Amino acid sequence: MLSYADRLKEMRNTKIRHTLEKKRQNGYTDIDDFGTVPITDNYEVEPWYNSSNGSFYGYDGMCENFCRIMDAHEPYVDPMEMLCGRWRDMLVNYRGDVHYLPDWLKKKPKIMELMSSANDQWSKRWDEQRFPYDDLKPLQEKYNIQTGIDSDAHLACDYRIGFELGFGGLLEKIRKYRKINPDKNDFYDAEEKTVLAIVRFIDRHIEKIKTMIPEETRPEIKESLERMLKACENIRLAPPKTFHEACQWTAFFNCASRIYTRDGAGYQMDVLLYPYYEQDIKSGILDDETAKFLIANLLLIDPHYYQISGVDENDRDMTNHLSYLILEAADSIDIACNLTVRVHENCDKDFFDKAVYYLLKNKNGWPRFCNDKALSEGYMRNGVDKRTARERIAVGCNWMCVPGKEFPMNDTVKINIAKVMEVALAEMRGERIRTTERLFELFEKHLKLAIDVTARGINLHLDHQWEVTPELVMNLMMENTIEKGEDISRCAELYTIGVDGAGLAVVADSLGALSARIESEHLLTWDEMYKALDNNFEDERIRLILNSAPKYCHGGTVSDEWAKRLTDCWVKNIKAQSMPKGRTLVPGWFSWARTIEYGSKVGATPNGRRAHEPISHGANPNPHFRTDGAPTAQSNGIASVQCGWGNTAPLQIEFDPNVSIENGGVEIVKKLILGHFEQGGTLININVLDTDKLMEANKDPEKYPDLVVRVTGFTAYFASLSPEFRQLVVDRFLRGI
Amino acid sequence: MAKGLVADIQRASLHDGYGIRTTVFLKGCPLNCKWCHNPECISFKPETMYYPEKCIGCGKCDEGCFSGAKVVCGQYMTADEVMSELLLDKPYYKDGGGITISGGEPMAQKQLVKALIALCKNNSIGCAMETSLIYYDADIFKGLDFIMADMKIWDTGIHKEYTGVGNEQIKDNFKKLNTINIPIIARTPVIPGVEQGIDKISEFMQGLENVVQYELLPYHPLGIAKRKALRKEITEFDIPSKEYMLEVGRYAFIR
Repeated sequence: MLSYADRLKEMRNTKIRHTLEKKRQNGYTDIDDFGTVPITDNYEVEPWYNSSNGSFYGYDGMCENFCRIMDAHEPYVDPMEMLCGRWRDMLVNYRGDVHYLPDWLKKKPKIMELMSSANDQWSKRWDEQRFPYDDLKPLQEKYNIQTGIDSDAHLACDYRIGFELGFGGLLEKIRKYRKINPDKNDFYDAEEKTVLAIVRFIDRHIEKIKTMIPEETRPEIKESLERMLKACENIRLAPPKTFHEACQWTAFFNCASRIYTRDGAGYQMDVLLYPYYEQDIKSGILDDETAKFLIANLLLIDPHYYQISGVDENDRDMTNHLSYLILEAADSIDIACNLTVRVHENCDKDFFDKAVYYLLKNKNGWPRFCNDKALSEGYMRNGVDKRTARERIAVGCNWMCVPGKEFPMNDTVKINIAKVMEVALAEMRGERIRTTERLFELFEKHLKLAIDVTARGINLHLDHQWEVTPELVMNLMMENTIEKGEDISRCAELYTIGVDGAGLAVVADSLGALSARIESEHLLTWDEMYKALDNNFEDERIRLILNSAPKYCHGGTVSDEWAKRLTDCWVKNIKAQSMPKGRTLVPGWFSWARTIEYGSKVGATPNGRRAHEPISHGANPNPHFRTDGAPTAQSNGIASVQCGWGNTAPLQIEFDPNVSIENGGVEIVKKLILGHFEQGGTLININVLDTDKLMEANKDPEKYPDLVVRVTGFTAYFASLSPEFRQLVVDRFLRGI
Repeated sequence: MAKGLVADIQRASLHDGYGIRTTVFLKGCPLNCKWCHNPECISFKPETMYYPEKCIGCGKCDEGCFSGAKVVCGQYMTADEVMSELLLDKPYYKDGGGITISGGEPMAQKQLVKALIALCKNNSIGCAMETSLIYYDADIFKGLDFIMADMKIWDTGIHKEYTGVGNEQIKDNFKKLNTINIPIIARTPVIPGVEQGIDKISEFMQGLENVVQYELLPYHPLGIAKRKALRKEITEFDIPSKEYMLEVGRYAFIR
């Protein structure tokens, strides 16, 4: 008889097989694993293009193509599992999205045609015919801005809405409000078809399970399939009533929202699932082992961002027995998972210990940790009450969102400040008096221009997203959408729009190097420095003079001071930007995984960085910021550059592989986390890796298809990353940053 | 304020005592252990270390080296200057962490050590020391949370052969240290091929009730590259195998 442990082992093996198979189908993917399974042989979608632009947009375009892709998906039922459903392909692929396009799709002629006219920033995801922004492009390119125009899915659903209504209830709600808002038929038609496509997706799973049951010979698996069938039948229209059904409902909804726009925002898992858990335990239909198996199964289906623990609006600990089971479940499956543990002084200390223990035990980059106090106090400064601020959950690489209420576009809008500095340096070149103060002044001038053009891009996006990429799936679980007949991009309660700066360390170290080497020590002249930048450091000695100047995160250096001034300047100007319609910008420091791409747009910089090399990662320091690579120094530096308005500047840290459970590692990592949070840090992504394993895997990735690394806020299978990205992870690890 | 000669300050030092610590390496040691992994901390003067593999051949050595090929080790610092660096990691020292004064032989620079201990007290920071115990000063030792001290070789003749000094004083100081109520972590670097008498050292440590732990640390050749950089004579030793460490490991203890 197969135990849960046997089944989990099989499920893990299947996952490893899928990872290798996907690599063959997709090529390298420097993104989240997303929990997809390989595309099936006969999979074919004929997209419907409703725009002369050669793409599809709006309620009808998005809805029709979503339904086609959903209907083309073969059901996924693995008898080892208790939950069913997976996704393989997504809607945005058919609009020539260069960031996510897998190799198998590139073989389709229509897609290649789209690709040939798209580039990395201006793909056919946006309907430029109707909503052009040629006037913004020169400055967007000048400052290397990731505009957020054409973004989607960067918000968080309130799953309580779905859990309460079920798909049937959502249909009734849509039909009810359609009568109240007769002029919004396009919206309601699309939403209704969207829900029906999800129900058909469930129905095909039901049919598939029915064919599998008679053929299943193992009694315990047969029984498991029968329970799976019952859960699916119960939730195809009705709301979930049991723990098993709530997990299965989540799995189906998440498959749909991934297929639509690869949305990966989950929920506060221990709080939302607890009522189901408690009721089923009381009625005797659930035990802890089964609950853990179901959670492990859900985490395997899709590494959505879930969070656990933390405090409520009254600072009361929310940790419960289920919080522990979730950690144990994640441990039992130990795959790429995006679990965030909220940390607060009132929280259960044993739980925090256990969370850190698993980080060290599995060395698989989970969980990560966020600071309840700093994040909610910061977010409240935007005029949000404490209750709402506390509801804001960690649902992305670096970002938070209030489920159901907020439309933050978080992580989609970034300004490459290394590029802004490059522009400022060029302007100062011809001036008679050249100083770092003057450079900073010019930097601020250009930063203002960059922020202004960014804001105009955001406003264009917000005004028209509903006509381009309405959030048809996520709308189902947002407030006011169905009620008003509006896309969430038009009717959110909170428009706290995240804008991240990228390249902080490059700019801080550049200013620091100029202060130290030109102004204080007179080792170089401005002309020599400019010439060196022009010829990309033909004279290595000049590069080393600049590169060896004291760096940001060393502690107490001139570059540390510049990093703080840059942060003040960044925050001041982001907050000073006026926005219409109740919108406000929220500053953060984060590059996502685009350090290579951003670096490719910037020539040599005065910190000794050669032209087109990657820029620094998020708020992290540059390599060799200290000879000892002290994580505490990095932690202090990053704590000192927090923007303070509720968005993050994450501490992304690779920990000494010698730090183990046996030699007191749990206490050490705990102290690092608490020390960082005490100083106002917001989010910590930690890798504790095995050096030998990482080196071997870099040589032969397929040898370790289960090796997971935290790339930024997301974890990824090392074997799936491109050689450049693997090297970046290895370098970061070796240099202790 | 008197200055001391500091070789390095290492933050987030995780293997020099309990918790998260900052280790201050003071320069200068009366011993000269052939396997020393911090040979740059033996001389009482600043020294230049050469790493030719990093040299870019710019020919401008006299105008300063920025490649890391020529590094000066040793900086005269006041206790306040050292302390300002140590305070940077105060948020992480709670519950057992703190600073470790190491070397070299820190007790060779008593003025600086005393001043640092006093500053730690004022700032509520834990303070420990790594010492060869060649010197003894009860007043200083009483100001520490715990002491990590080495007994490298039991036989004084062999001790002298490998470290340059006999060990009578060290044994005596261990006994004296045992009379003041400071926890001691005793340690022996395990050097294959050297008649260390680990069994006898272990027995000696068992007899000292304030020795809370006796650790055996495998020799590692970290010092060789640094000896090359200092252009010092190199003696190579074998790295102890896992089996060897397991074999001698039975003499280690934690009370």
